[in-house]
Amino acid sequence: MSYEAYQRGEPVIITAALTGGVHGKEASQHLPETPEEVAEAAEACEEAGASVVHLHARKENGERTFERERFQELTEAVRERTDLIVQHSTGGTGAPDDLRHEPLRTDPAPDMASLDMGPLNRYQHLTSENTRALVEALGEEMRERGIKPEVEVFNGGHLNEVHGLLDRRPDLLEEPYHTTLIFGGGTTAMPTPKNFLNLIEHLPEGATFNTLAFGPHQLPFTAMGIVFGGHVRVGLEDNRYFRQGELATNEQLVARAATLAETLERPVASPDEAREILGL
Amino acid sequence: MACPYLDYRDEGEDRSFDTERAYCTAVDAFVQPMRADICNDRYDLHHAEDCEFYKEAAGEGSDDA
Repeated sequence: MSYEAYQRGEPVIITAALTGGVHGKEASQHLPETPEEVAEAAEACEEAGASVVHLHARKENGERTFERERFQELTEAVRERTDLIVQHSTGGTGAPDDLRHEPLRTDPAPDMASLDMGPLNRYQHLTSENTRALVEALGEEMRERGIKPEVEVFNGGHLNEVHGLLDRRPDLLEEPYHTTLIFGGGTTAMPTPKNFLNLIEHLPEGATFNTLAFGPHQLPFTAMGIVFGGHVRVGLEDNRYFRQGELATNEQLVARAATLAETLERPVASPDEAREILGL
Repeated sequence: MACPYLDYRDEGEDRSFDTERAYCTAVDAFVQPMRADICNDRYDLHHAEDCEFYKEAAGEGSDDA
């Protein structure tokens, strides 16, 4: 993945991160929580240009759940209405390791699942630990169930962890290694263009990358991801606003990313094209 | 045992919801879903240890200097 990929006009995969696990309708009335709301948003995002949907499960009152049954309900609702590649989150700050496996256990298994490469801080007192033991255990279950890992890199240290995992457990990741580079505040990579270039320069050979940036950084980093031959993730999980003071919908954020890609002369990948690019 | 400042409401902050949602009476605001796990002492989380709003409301001050 490189500027050359941009020049060749390779398709860009847009991932829609609709919901997340951190904030809910108290933060935006547009944030979908129930399976029906998520499926409706997923369908609108597919029409706007998304080919992957990143899913977190919520209870009826919006609170987090890691239960397989709720993920099953969610994934069935989305598959019924879309042809999107289904990617389940295995994230879960503060949740026990065994619960982190539950989103992998739906029937059928998700096409992809997130694999967080190390710790990150939340609020004043929480850390999502993501130990190497947990990363490997999740990776093993993904391999056994035919789920492609979406390797989440929250900072440069986590990129070291990717290289370490490839050295230590080359059986857990298959090319193309689909990474997501995450920019913003706190434990995430500092959102500067230099840092973006530094991270993509140090990706392992055979990696594709997805650009994810929080809040006001989502738009410029989407543009950079497109120009530097990467793929992009947008959605209300990462950014609530379309512009300052104006709340967005998931569909609007996907449509803007698709317009950017087309303006920059990279075609937007269909779900089938995305499956081929990702080796699913 | 859940946080004493936790309430469930379907109205507040000039908004209403179809389902009652976690509300923090210490800061008078609806609670983000991840914070609600702390409020309810789910998993290995505990409001007295993990919530800065509880600590401040309980007069315990900050241990984050």
